Amino acid sequence: MSANGIPSGLRRRDFLGASAAAIAATQFPFSTDAWGQAAPPLRAGITGYNVINTLDPGKATLIPEFYVIWALYNGLMKLDANSNPVPDLAESVKADGNALEFKLRKGVRFHDGSEMTADDIKFTLERLLDDKFASPNKSKVSALSAIEVPDPATVRIVTKEAFAPLLTFLSNCRTGTQILSRKATTAGGDDFGKKPIGTGAFALKDWVPGERVSLAAFPGYFGGAPKIGTIDMPLIAEESSGVTALLGGQIDITSTAPFADIPNLEKNTAITVLKQAGLNCRFVSLNHRKAPFDDPAFRRACSMAFDRNAMVRAVLFGEGVTSHGLIPPSIAYAYGGNSRPLCTFDPAKAKAELAKSKYPNGAEAEIMTWGQSWWKRMAEVFVAQCNQTLGTKFTVQVTEANTVFQRHKSGDYQGSVWGWLGLLDADEYMYDIVHTKGWRNFYGYSNPKVDDLLDRARRELDQAKRGALYKEAENAMIEDMPVLPLFVSNVHNLMTKKVQGFKQLPYSNWGDQFANMSLG
Amino acid sequence: MVWARFVAGRLLALVLTVLVGSVVVFLVMKSAPGDPAVAALGESARPELVAAFRAKHNLDVAWPLQYGRWLAGVMQGDFGLSLTVASDRKISGLIAARLPNTVFIGLMALVIAIFLSLIAGTIAALRRGKLGDTIATSLAALGISMPDFWLSYVLILVFALGLGLFPAYGFTAPGVSLTGAIYSGFLPALAVSAPLAAVFARTLRTSLLEAGNKDYVVAARSFGFRPAYIFVHWVFRNALIPYITIIGLQIRYILGGVVVIERIFGVSGIGSLMVDGAFARDYPVVQACAVVFLVIVLSVNLVVDIVCSLLDPKRTR
Repeated sequence: MSANGIPSGLRRRDFLGASAAAIAATQFPFSTDAWGQAAPPLRAGITGYNVINTLDPGKATLIPEFYVIWALYNGLMKLDANSNPVPDLAESVKADGNALEFKLRKGVRFHDGSEMTADDIKFTLERLLDDKFASPNKSKVSALSAIEVPDPATVRIVTKEAFAPLLTFLSNCRTGTQILSRKATTAGGDDFGKKPIGTGAFALKDWVPGERVSLAAFPGYFGGAPKIGTIDMPLIAEESSGVTALLGGQIDITSTAPFADIPNLEKNTAITVLKQAGLNCRFVSLNHRKAPFDDPAFRRACSMAFDRNAMVRAVLFGEGVTSHGLIPPSIAYAYGGNSRPLCTFDPAKAKAELAKSKYPNGAEAEIMTWGQSWWKRMAEVFVAQCNQTLGTKFTVQVTEANTVFQRHKSGDYQGSVWGWLGLLDADEYMYDIVHTKGWRNFYGYSNPKVDDLLDRARRELDQAKRGALYKEAENAMIEDMPVLPLFVSNVHNLMTKKVQGFKQLPYSNWGDQFANMSLG
Repeated sequence: MVWARFVAGRLLALVLTVLVGSVVVFLVMKSAPGDPAVAALGESARPELVAAFRAKHNLDVAWPLQYGRWLAGVMQGDFGLSLTVASDRKISGLIAARLPNTVFIGLMALVIAIFLSLIAGTIAALRRGKLGDTIATSLAALGISMPDFWLSYVLILVFALGLGLFPAYGFTAPGVSLTGAIYSGFLPALAVSAPLAAVFARTLRTSLLEAGNKDYVVAARSFGFRPAYIFVHWVFRNALIPYITIIGLQIRYILGGVVVIERIFGVSGIGSLMVDGAFARDYPVVQACAVVFLVIVLSVNLVVDIVCSLLDPKRTR
């Protein structure tokens, strides 16, 4: 650490050792000092988080790490507003049996000035697959069997069998598959996560652990030099402090906002509130191996016995939409809507379904939850309404999140509020959660028809046909009501009126937008 | 000779206390549930990776040896590497970056608190039972009972968002700009100072009243000295000893008790570092912060003892 708090290594031109001369000879000597000095900085507060351990995509796990990674790197693909993967570092992609063939964009340079080639893609993916590297993001590439480089501008990624979610997994999201330079990453060694080098519109300028990260615009960015020269990202642990910092003029945009404050903030004419349903799903998880949730009719009765709209108001302060399935609306190609009768509050039909079940007089059950905040309220609202409608004797059992997860894994529970955040592909919402082999299927659900549809969807590379298969699978699944879908919560950004060009995406995006932004 | 022995004795006690304290902290951290290797690598990490992590972070040997190696490092100013709050960064660097912020805000708060308490405590004692006393003691009661997060938000609402006099968030480190630090640190220092000023003022009021009833003060009055002369020479000087002792005791609060205020105003201080470390099971960070706390608190208390001895030479015997 040097006196001014800048990691000293970043300024040393010789930190790449033997390759320093080669770098100095290129168009972009790696010193961010001279980049983008003129324009005022964008002060983009990362709210609700204050730990960033690494900026190496292969090692990153935390949301704030990816916030920054999205600005520093690119993936072969990126997600559009409807969660469809579209080319980014790739120029085009075509399917060829079990392989995907990517033609690479030309003239892409890394921050050290070197040009990206197909070999860098091969290096990045093999690094993730390497057991010795032990990437937490390995599962995103576990379908791969070979990475071939027929020429410097072409990569063929071969999978064991056709695997449609792979394009999503290769996009610049919470995937870890962001493309690295073989040369710079190898030279960086164990310190690469502190001195990252990517192809992104911004390069790391300064990083004070637990306090802030600053980025400098990369003049050699393939999309053209960004309009904003410097991005200053304070790490603001409390979401509410993010709001006061924005209102007080210390930051220009926030990465999140507290749900309860949204209605008031929307009335404030000095700021803009961006919101939409995010990429997440919340449900009541039911153990099919234990009474009373072993009976589909009983599960259907419970599903129609409570009001999901009331839950969105009570738990989320209205900041979300009801779910009648597992796939959130922002995965547009596979979204099945939220007007399924089996997920609509209807006391008469719920009682009729209860009468047909193994437990016509209701039953006792413990519904697990944790904490003090909305997870607890979710369980309370569900239990109170079910008991009122069906005469069941459900109770809320408050414990802590880790215990709930452990008891899910061991099958030692009856019911629990549960959910997933940050899954990107329809396959993760369906295959992982309700396929017989899905690793998130803790409840023992198994339906051969659903399994078959999900297997086919994995092999279907036509996005429209793939979406149709998921819709069909969800329709078949909902008859069994393996879990009770509840709602999808919104993602939020707050910004001042002078911020231009930020396009919010449902995966709670951030650094990926900096290239397009300006301060009016 | 008396002085040298006094100071040497206290220094020796300080070192021993830090040693014993560090052993206790070390053992508490060892017996706390959870494994740092699992916290850092995840539950699905393979055994050989866990083993490598343990070897790298000195976790694979018996605890007395772990402690010995850790202590040897600490003696040379090396607190090891952070595990989970800033992984692979030197903890000494993290502390060096944050301690000045905490100390700066703490000193500002102390100056504000001493200034306010000297005025309020003296007025309350001199105007005992009258309006001035009522106002001063009521303000002190308010200062103690206001929750720190509430006061912080009120200060932000009034002085930052309302009047626009100070920033609502963010702190400029004193190493970057001294005036910037004073400007951006004023509201957090004010929030920190409120309960301090209240405690100081109450203590000063009580000890002034006590000192004012002493026989030698009555005697001085009967000799016909002017009240102001009596107050400064006999009452105030003797009342300072409990007052300074109380100030010394509040150092602990300034270091570790102001995490909420640090969070709300965005001051990256050492208290927040320790709390983050505890939540993320970053044991070496917690241990390092604990040792730094211990050394500072004990050193300040030593200085307080020395100052009190100067005011009252009987104490060195």
